[in-house]
Amino acid sequence: MDKSNGTPFLELRDVNKTFNLSSGEVTALEHVSLTISKGELVALVGPSGSGKTTLLNIIGSLDRPSRGEVLLEGVRIDGLSEEDLVHFRREKFSFIFQDAKPLRMLNVLENTLLPFNFFKPKNRNGNIKDEGIEVIKSLGLGHRIYHMPSQLSGGEIQRVAIARALITHPAMILADEPTANLDRGNRLFVIDTFRKLSKEKGIAIVFSTHDLEIANRADRIVHLKDGVFLKDEPITCTPCSG
Amino acid sequence: MELIVLAIKDIFRRKGKSLYLLIAIVIPVAILSTILLTFDNADSSLSTLASKFGFTLIVQPKNVRVDKISQIGVNTQEYIPEVVIADIQKIVQDTIRNPKDKVITVVRFYHEEDILIGKAKISSVVAGIDFKTELEAKPSWKLTGGGWPKSDREAVLGGTYASSRKVSLHDTVTIGGSEFRVTGILQNYNSSEDYMVFAPFTEVQKLFNKAGFVSVINIQNVSLDKDKGLLQTAVNNINKNIPNIMALSPQQFSTMKYTLLKKSLKFLMAIVVATIAVSIFSIFNIVTSVLYSRVKEIGLLKSVGASRSQLLTIFLSEYLTIGLLGGMIGYPLGLIMTYLLDSFLLKLGAGVNVNILYVLVALLVGVFCSFIASFYPTYRLSKIKITESFRTQWEG
Repeated sequence: MDKSNGTPFLELRDVNKTFNLSSGEVTALEHVSLTISKGELVALVGPSGSGKTTLLNIIGSLDRPSRGEVLLEGVRIDGLSEEDLVHFRREKFSFIFQDAKPLRMLNVLENTLLPFNFFKPKNRNGNIKDEGIEVIKSLGLGHRIYHMPSQLSGGEIQRVAIARALITHPAMILADEPTANLDRGNRLFVIDTFRKLSKEKGIAIVFSTHDLEIANRADRIVHLKDGVFLKDEPITCTPCSG
Repeated sequence: MELIVLAIKDIFRRKGKSLYLLIAIVIPVAILSTILLTFDNADSSLSTLASKFGFTLIVQPKNVRVDKISQIGVNTQEYIPEVVIADIQKIVQDTIRNPKDKVITVVRFYHEEDILIGKAKISSVVAGIDFKTELEAKPSWKLTGGGWPKSDREAVLGGTYASSRKVSLHDTVTIGGSEFRVTGILQNYNSSEDYMVFAPFTEVQKLFNKAGFVSVINIQNVSLDKDKGLLQTAVNNINKNIPNIMALSPQQFSTMKYTLLKKSLKFLMAIVVATIAVSIFSIFNIVTSVLYSRVKEIGLLKSVGASRSQLLTIFLSEYLTIGLLGGMIGYPLGLIMTYLLDSFLLKLGAGVNVNILYVLVALLVGVFCSFIASFYPTYRLSKIKITESFRTQWEG
């Protein structure tokens, strides 16, 4: 719950999602209800095809539910037009995708500042380039600021994605399998960075993973199977070590 | 960083594909530029020839076809009766309606004859001319030596004629059994006049028993020179009112000469249209292939806040920049091709001139091809949802 006024930051009410495929109708999510507060780190866990990515997409307004409601700070967003959603997402959300590599023609700093090619940063006092450099340094990439993506390792590429997600000061970060294909050191770095951001900056972070060691470092684990909630368990021994 | 900068950076990242696109645009632009410039050069060549000839209006016997403007009336047994000269002058005066505007009428009588030079018989074109009127109309006519004839039995030789036959000043040539003393030798003007023998008009008429007939009537008038519409009216009125003659302007004559070239140009323009169509098809395929390989990138750009219109701006900027570049390269390539075509094949000799209008046409065609071919795939891909872009296996 948002401690300021008791309204959850994000709320899903009885959300259903079905896809019409050539092979027939497929139910990806069924009767899913969920609330996420500011500063909360939530892990979505489940086997492949359980609906993790679909749920993340609906939370981030990248997709619309077939039935049910999505509310952000008490306001329904599932009915907004595509144009309104673009503006809405710019202000509230950042996304980290497993497959979304940085743009190859831009260096690390340019990739970090990529969102500001499309909209102007709001409520910033300092120079946006300096802030970008600070974010990159805070993620341990100080020596890579002007390097091109082809010169980076997999872990470094994922850190660039996190830097790009942070530069817009989002209220919520949605990450789809952010630690897949990373070695253990980088996996732990990513999840610890998420923890730090959620606790220090109050950013709500929802990520999907197959990795229970990573999931156990979240505040909550939401278990999904075949589009249905199995359980929503808080983690008490944070961070639980694997 | 601006969206355009993103677009340009991407052009350099995809050097190979960008080069293919560039070639697909440069080829039709270069071909189009070559044809336009060749056409332009043909036109300016016609004007040069016409102005070099020095007359506004030519009247020749009807149904006589010649290849060169300066050969009108030569090599033909057809003649015009002298009585029509007054009628022609009246029609011209009535058309220009300005008595102060001088109309110079230059008549010539041509006859091909074996001329005796020493003991050698040489087939020659003898031009009977009135030297005084001729010089009034063509003050640029100059002699390399000697002077203009002052008596009936004096002649002037074309420069090439004199040098090739080794005839000198004061030599005697026998035309139709009568001897003529050479008083002057003309400068060469790179025309058929360089190969002629010029003698007094009435003498030549008499020698060949054609008193009262002329081969060609040339009219020179400033008003008609300046006003193409007026000139056309005069030409039409002469053709309409005087039988068995054909009046035409040097420009018209030259245009007739280049009719075949113009027909070829039409055919070549059809090739250009076909080339542009092939180019658009090729660009469409390349752009589609490139964009499908960039679907995840599109998803990423949308996820960081790019709107559809911004994506369209980025992608279309890329392709329009390549189109513009294609125009910029295609035009100078067209200039080179025009030069080579003129030097080795057409030999119009008007030179290759940069035409600002055609530069703009080249740039527009480059941009047009690029836009037409890239808009649909760009528009379609910009509509893709972020979720689809990461879910589907898109490979170009």
